[in-house]
Amino acid sequence: MKTEVRHEINRTIVEVHGSLDALTAPELANTLVNQIAEGHVNLVVDLIGVEFMSSAGLRTLLGAVKESRSHGGDLRIASTNPGIDKVLKMSGFHNIAKVFPSQAEAASSFGS
Amino acid sequence: MASTHRITRAAYLESLNEFREFIKEHCAGVSGINEEIIYDIQLAVDEACTNIISHGYADLDPGSIILDLEVDSAKLTVSLTDFGHSFEPSSAPIPDVDAPIEQRELEGFGLFFIQQSMDDMDYQVTEDGNKLTLIRYLRKKVGG
Repeated sequence: MKTEVRHEINRTIVEVHGSLDALTAPELANTLVNQIAEGHVNLVVDLIGVEFMSSAGLRTLLGAVKESRSHGGDLRIASTNPGIDKVLKMSGFHNIAKVFPSQAEAASSFGS
Repeated sequence: MASTHRITRAAYLESLNEFREFIKEHCAGVSGINEEIIYDIQLAVDEACTNIISHGYADLDPGSIILDLEVDSAKLTVSLTDFGHSFEPSSAPIPDVDAPIEQRELEGFGLFFIQQSMDDMDYQVTEDGNKLTLIRYLRKKVGG
């Protein structure tokens, strides 16, 4: 798994590539916690380059949504992989966080 | 005619990707198995192996996980054998997927995803190890 972090005005984009499983999810959790600790509380996590995500990845996203909101921000997802969408839907993730079909839409939801 | 395949790996998180790739390698292109089914099987195997690695072999020297895959025209059967601590599937909590975020537990999704992705699940503790069998029917069960 690889992540790329890009800071834009009023939001931070975290692009994730590869697989999010129990081995790699803690690495993403560290990245997200560090961004929030540095004050980058509005996060877009782009999962479009992710080919597989298990409950370990989901747990990381849920934890980061809670963390960003507790700091006055939000975490929003961009995802197009049907398998990952299914994981998000099975867990009810759509009820508690916003999921967009593109990075641009997720980013612009924070305002321009 | 059924085809059978086996892979044995050490119970390390580093092995998860190899188990998932094994599923993909032997399921891709098989009649009746599409990408959605492959993802479901990979998810169930990944979650089951993660449980074995994190809980089954907790406090023990890491042992092995044996994955047997059998594919025929009607169903796909995955058997996972390990030699660690056994677990009681019926005692696992069911996550509340409708709960608001403040009340969300971050644990408990693994077994839930296995149950959602597969049609049948059986767990046996034997002298030859703990055996989790997962079945996904490729056609509707008749009378089921």
